[in-house]
Amino acid sequence: MSDPNVPSETSQQPEPPAAAAAAADAAPGAGAAAVPAATEQQVGHPPTQYAEPGPAEAQYAPTQYPQAQQPQTPYPQTPYSQTPYSQTSYPQTGYAQTEYPPAPYQQPGYVSPYPKNDLAVWSLVLGLAGFVLGCLFVTGIPAVILGRNAQRAVAEGQANNPGLATTGVVLGWVSIALSVGLLVLLGLTMLFGVIALPFLVVGSSSAG
Amino acid sequence: MTPATALAPDRLTRPGAWWRAPAVTAGLAALGTAVVVWRDPHVSGSLGACPLLLLTGFVCPACGALRATDDLAHGRVAEAWSHNPLWVALVPVLLVLWARWLVRRRRGQSARPLSSRWAVVALVVLVVFGALRNLPGLAPVLGP
Repeated sequence: MSDPNVPSETSQQPEPPAAAAAAADAAPGAGAAAVPAATEQQVGHPPTQYAEPGPAEAQYAPTQYPQAQQPQTPYPQTPYSQTPYSQTSYPQTGYAQTEYPPAPYQQPGYVSPYPKNDLAVWSLVLGLAGFVLGCLFVTGIPAVILGRNAQRAVAEGQANNPGLATTGVVLGWVSIALSVGLLVLLGLTMLFGVIALPFLVVGSSSAG
Repeated sequence: MTPATALAPDRLTRPGAWWRAPAVTAGLAALGTAVVVWRDPHVSGSLGACPLLLLTGFVCPACGALRATDDLAHGRVAEAWSHNPLWVALVPVLLVLWARWLVRRRRGQSARPLSSRWAVVALVVLVVFGALRNLPGLAPVLGP
């Protein structure tokens, strides 16, 4: 957000923010050099200021930060990526209650490192719909197409769900095969109506 | 982990008019609707028969969608709802999605991929709808 301390913080981004989280619990003076430097140049709060995020952080569970920050270190420009870095700015501004509402997980700017993961999920859903729900080739064909795109994305490193993609492709093909089988059966029914009559559910009760 | 690909460019990378793909999609949809209206699915057998319904008696979530499309094309929303309420509810959603796609293309961005969360929602809705409309109690309300 609009934090006057941001310029100094962004220059220190190579410092792993996890160190700041650890420093918040340990003696801050022994932590990353950026952290005490930031405090001293700002308001000169005592290092124990880091205890302050404790109660506010209680709902955060600091262990969440490393996993949230890790993919964000390459994105220093997005405003939401400052939420984990706000740990170092906590002592300076009156932030925790006003600027950062206690829901840091919902960082809308979080960009997944695997942008094409959705392909495999949709492929799986469409394959399931085709196989289980009877949508057959209507969703089976898109399932195969999306599944192949998902497999290609996994090969390129843009997705990390190869199992889902393969399942979607398999289910898609099964749906297509099922629809072909049903069409063949229907064709046989129409051609050889008498022979296929006992297998019809709708209609005849006198046959067989 | 490849952060570089995570920041893949959002701009249209393929040359060509920005309206081409949405226009083709809309054209295909209009063509399909025209065929359905022309053939009048209310007449049994006009557009063929559904192998799934004939062979298993199972009313799939899409059953009645063609009749609903024909009714919607003629402005009979209530009748369309009686044939397939899910499809009638989905049509405005699809129109909005298409409009958003068109706007994004106008701005020079590629279509934003549908989040996988919606895939789970779609699956749940399809399964629940497909199950409910086959129950004898709800079949008159949700059935084709």
